Amino acid sequence: MKITEKIDVRFPRTLAEALRLQAGEQTRGKLLAGGTDLMVQWAAGVPAPERATSVWNLPELSAIEMAPDAIEIGAGVTHAFLRDCVQIRRHLPALVAAAATVGAAQIQSRGTLGGNAANASPAGDTAPALLVTGGSVVLASLSGRREVPLDRFWIDYRKIDARPDEIIVAFRLPPKGRAKERFRKIGTRRAQAISKVMAASRILVEKGRIVSAAIALGSVAPTPVRLAQVEAFLVGKKLSPKLIDEAEQLAQATVAPIADIRSSAEYRRWASGRLVRDALEHL
Amino acid sequence: MTKRTSKPVRLIGKGMPRVDADGKVRGTTRYLNDIDYKGIWHGVVVRSPVPRGILRAIVPGPAFAGDNLVLATAKDIPGENVVHMHDRTMPLLAEIGGEIRYRGEPVAVVAAATPEQAAAAARDVRIEVDELPPLLTLDEAVAIFKSAPGKLDTMKEQTIVKGDLAQGFTAADDVVEAEYWAGHQEQLYLENQGLVVFPQKDGSILSEGSIQCPYFPVHELNDPLKLPPEKIRVRQTPIGGAFGGKEDYPTMLTGYAALPALKSGKPVKITYERNEDILFTPKRHPVWVRFKTGFKKDGTLTAIECDYILDGGAYLTISDVVMYRGILHCALAYRCDNVVIRGKVARTNSFPCGAFRGFGAPQAIWGIESHMDAIAARLGKTPHEYRLQVHARPGDVTPTGQTLSDENGSTACLKLALKRSDFARKLRQASRGKLRKGQKKFVGVGLSFFAHGSAFTGDGEAKFKAKGRVELARLEDGKPGINIRVSSTEMGQGVHTIFTQIAADALSLDAARIRFPMADTGLVPNSGPTVASRTTMVVGNVVYRAALDLKNQIESFAALRFFKGAPAELRGSRLLSKGARPVSFETAAKAMLAEIGSASGFFEFLLPADIRWDQATFKGDSYPGYSWSANVAEIEIDPLTCELEVKRVTAIVDIGRVINPVTATGQVEGGLTQALGYAVMEKIGTGKNGLYDAARLQTYIIPTALDVPEYDVKFVEYPYSFAPPGAKGLGELPMDGLAPAIANAIEAAIGRRLRQIPLTPEAIFAALHPAQGGTP
Ligand SMILES: Cc1cc2nc3c(=O)[nH]c(=O)nc-3n(C[C@H](O)[C@H](O)[C@H](O)COP(=O)(O)OP(=O)(O)OC[C@H]3O[C@@H](n4cnc5c(N)ncnc54)[C@H](O)[C@@H]3O)c2cc1C
Repeated sequence: MKITEKIDVRFPRTLAEALRLQAGEQTRGKLLAGGTDLMVQWAAGVPAPERATSVWNLPELSAIEMAPDAIEIGAGVTHAFLRDCVQIRRHLPALVAAAATVGAAQIQSRGTLGGNAANASPAGDTAPALLVTGGSVVLASLSGRREVPLDRFWIDYRKIDARPDEIIVAFRLPPKGRAKERFRKIGTRRAQAISKVMAASRILVEKGRIVSAAIALGSVAPTPVRLAQVEAFLVGKKLSPKLIDEAEQLAQATVAPIADIRSSAEYRRWASGRLVRDALEHL
Repeated sequence: MTKRTSKPVRLIGKGMPRVDADGKVRGTTRYLNDIDYKGIWHGVVVRSPVPRGILRAIVPGPAFAGDNLVLATAKDIPGENVVHMHDRTMPLLAEIGGEIRYRGEPVAVVAAATPEQAAAAARDVRIEVDELPPLLTLDEAVAIFKSAPGKLDTMKEQTIVKGDLAQGFTAADDVVEAEYWAGHQEQLYLENQGLVVFPQKDGSILSEGSIQCPYFPVHELNDPLKLPPEKIRVRQTPIGGAFGGKEDYPTMLTGYAALPALKSGKPVKITYERNEDILFTPKRHPVWVRFKTGFKKDGTLTAIECDYILDGGAYLTISDVVMYRGILHCALAYRCDNVVIRGKVARTNSFPCGAFRGFGAPQAIWGIESHMDAIAARLGKTPHEYRLQVHARPGDVTPTGQTLSDENGSTACLKLALKRSDFARKLRQASRGKLRKGQKKFVGVGLSFFAHGSAFTGDGEAKFKAKGRVELARLEDGKPGINIRVSSTEMGQGVHTIFTQIAADALSLDAARIRFPMADTGLVPNSGPTVASRTTMVVGNVVYRAALDLKNQIESFAALRFFKGAPAELRGSRLLSKGARPVSFETAAKAMLAEIGSASGFFEFLLPADIRWDQATFKGDSYPGYSWSANVAEIEIDPLTCELEVKRVTAIVDIGRVINPVTATGQVEGGLTQALGYAVMEKIGTGKNGLYDAARLQTYIIPTALDVPEYDVKFVEYPYSFAPPGAKGLGELPMDGLAPAIANAIEAAIGRRLRQIPLTPEAIFAALHPAQGGTP
């Protein structure tokens, strides 16, 4: 018998109905979006729940709203949609680039932004790109809505600031404006690759001086991380080769990655700095 | 009726579409797990939880209270508890009181009516073991070898000696010595391991499944199952890839399934999920190889000394033969009068390694082809000029004393590869660790050159005498046709197609009338296992000769029956006789089947009478023929991240007569891609807990379509004339030489030599930035 045949999956038509089904829920992992993380985890031995609620195709999770201060992207939006959406690309190029590197075409068609964030893997490809926007996550439950800034959303390894009865509805992401964004992933291969290290950045330079800087890394810590020290170091300074060298070294000194099957701690530390350099060299 | 003469059938050399393509493309081919076997039970192997220890007890829990369930342990083995393999040391299941030698060693087999019940029961077996300290890796074994060679636990050794090594070093002006490492590799066939064992009323068994070498279980389970070969029948289901992975292992799996099947009287099926398949089936052997080479100022090699140690895992299984092939390929491609190669199979407490495309040769070639560049560098010569100078060619004598005939296209491969890839120019432009103006990436190009011995090692084919039959039969449409009866299996490599081409040409008969039924040891003569790059060359010849034999019989019959005794010729699917109206094959064959009943052509493979081989001294003709290849890899390395991209690979190949250029090109490109994975990303080792450390497709990384470089594959044909149609081995050759070509290209790009595969960004980083260091 297949795993999915053993699970009672409920298909609510509206967010309200989904929230009712989730009310009082004590454990995470019972919300099923694209299933591209959950199905793999269940097959690998993570105990599958008896019941699950599908949020796939919920209209309230599929919307995209473009406001001047923030673009609101529904949690149910797929990586394929992000990859192909020209308007979003103009304002959030790093996020679009990240979505385009998730798995390959099949996974992109099924995997969602909400699922990627809620799965809370330090290697989740969209996380660094979300982080550098300085945006927030919109959560809903029967007791109402709340917003959590993204840099406080991932609290620990695979832990998020969301209760099991809460559903991620959307991400509110300020557009990049005049800043430059960059995303780069060092994967284990050219597709279907989990990152060894990756970086996203949003940096604004005016008259040769760095006005604002947001840099985030994935796969170097238990959660996706912003490089606050490096950012602080950069802001107000004139962009120069020397500054780039120093930022690279500072980044290397700041991170404390681990070794695992995908890479070594030393390589990750070094590459973290290299990706910071890459961001600064592309301004 | 037309007057024009019938044209003979000529399919050899043409890109005939695969005869099995339709079902595979449409998805109608039924693999083992697509077949709905009624009333079978499902088996699950219960394994040792530790890599080493003394097995004290096997305690079944409450799950075994019910019906429809059976637990088989070593006590249920009808005969002696041993799988024959090559040294009769490996038990089929671990014995109480006996030593567990690797994590996952089978201890019992549970079978039940449903897979869930079997899995639950298997989890409910407690295994009690008094643990002992294990030795898990080749690194540890090599450390022992280096400090106290006598203490290395060696399961098999073999040495090749040519000339006088000491004299060779005395004559040398310079010496280069270096070590090279290669790790495990998983075959990763698309279809996991699986088979069903049906117990028969007469006490015999039938094993049906994804089995690369149907005759292996027939001959290797007689002692444990107490069954003679005729009582073990093996039938192949369509195989979704094997690459050697289904060579030795299905013998074990047949044994595991047979025990509960014989005990319960029910057919028992065992199939693995991917995770179990990666964790508990054999891999390519890790190898450590050290070369010490002496040479004169002009480059002449005067001495090659080589130690080749292979991690066999916990039991020898077939590792001796892998080691033999390995040492035979360590110094095969170059001229040198004084050679000593010492091979050893080390024992570790890791999963026994097994067959994988290349069979010891890729590791040997990884070493020597890296090393040749190192020698060239020391001499101040370019790698290609040096190889052109010292490579082996017709008339040269191999390390075992075999004189290469003029059917070896070594020079042609080398020269064409250099020309087509524009090697010399690209090498001059290689970065050597310095970016030129405007350049963002280090660029490099690397060369490798090698041979692969076709067919069984030494006098293997002479002793084995591959047999095959080509028979006249009524086909499924009721009309007469031909069945090819050999034990060679289709695994995706195209054998069904090329044997159809060979039989069609030999008979001069329309290929549409020729069938190649799945191998079934109850029906086919033993043409040998589908291994060792022997099938097209050896069994192809058997099919060719057997088809000619049948053709003769058909012609003799037709002469008497239709042409009043005048000689007849089967040509273009018609029987022709001078001055008479042609008779169609259909008419003649129908008459023959009706009047004689059956007819078949038979052939038994022979080697040329002058082949010599001495197994004890490893002297003589080590292989009946050699295929040759030169690979050129063009790469880029991003200095920002040390990421490597292989942009283009040129592969020139001499595989003798090319039977089907389309499937042959597919074999080369597929093999190169498998070699690419081995070279740059596939990484799996024995972890501290004794289990492989990359047990899922998420962690065991193989190339995707996007990782595949541009390929330029060309054939040069130096046929093996003794065995028409003249093919030499192809299957393994493309796996052999890409890793060193890439390592050599990396050297050209960054000026550093890497001595361990896979050649990951971490390894390139460690080489380029030793201060920031780290382990690759
Ligand atoms: C072959 C393959 C390749 C992959 N490659 C990559 C890759 O390169 N990069 C990468 O980052 N990921 C990769 N993934 C992982 C996965 O595809 C992504 O994380 C994807 O975005 C998950 O989305 P989903 O909708 O499928 O999530 P699901 O599997 O449905 O859910 C994942 C988690 O999120 C929770 N969840 C889902 N939606 C919500 C919601 N609205 N509110 C609250 N919780 C929710 C679920 O309960 C679950 O815990 C890969 C997966 C596979 C199978």
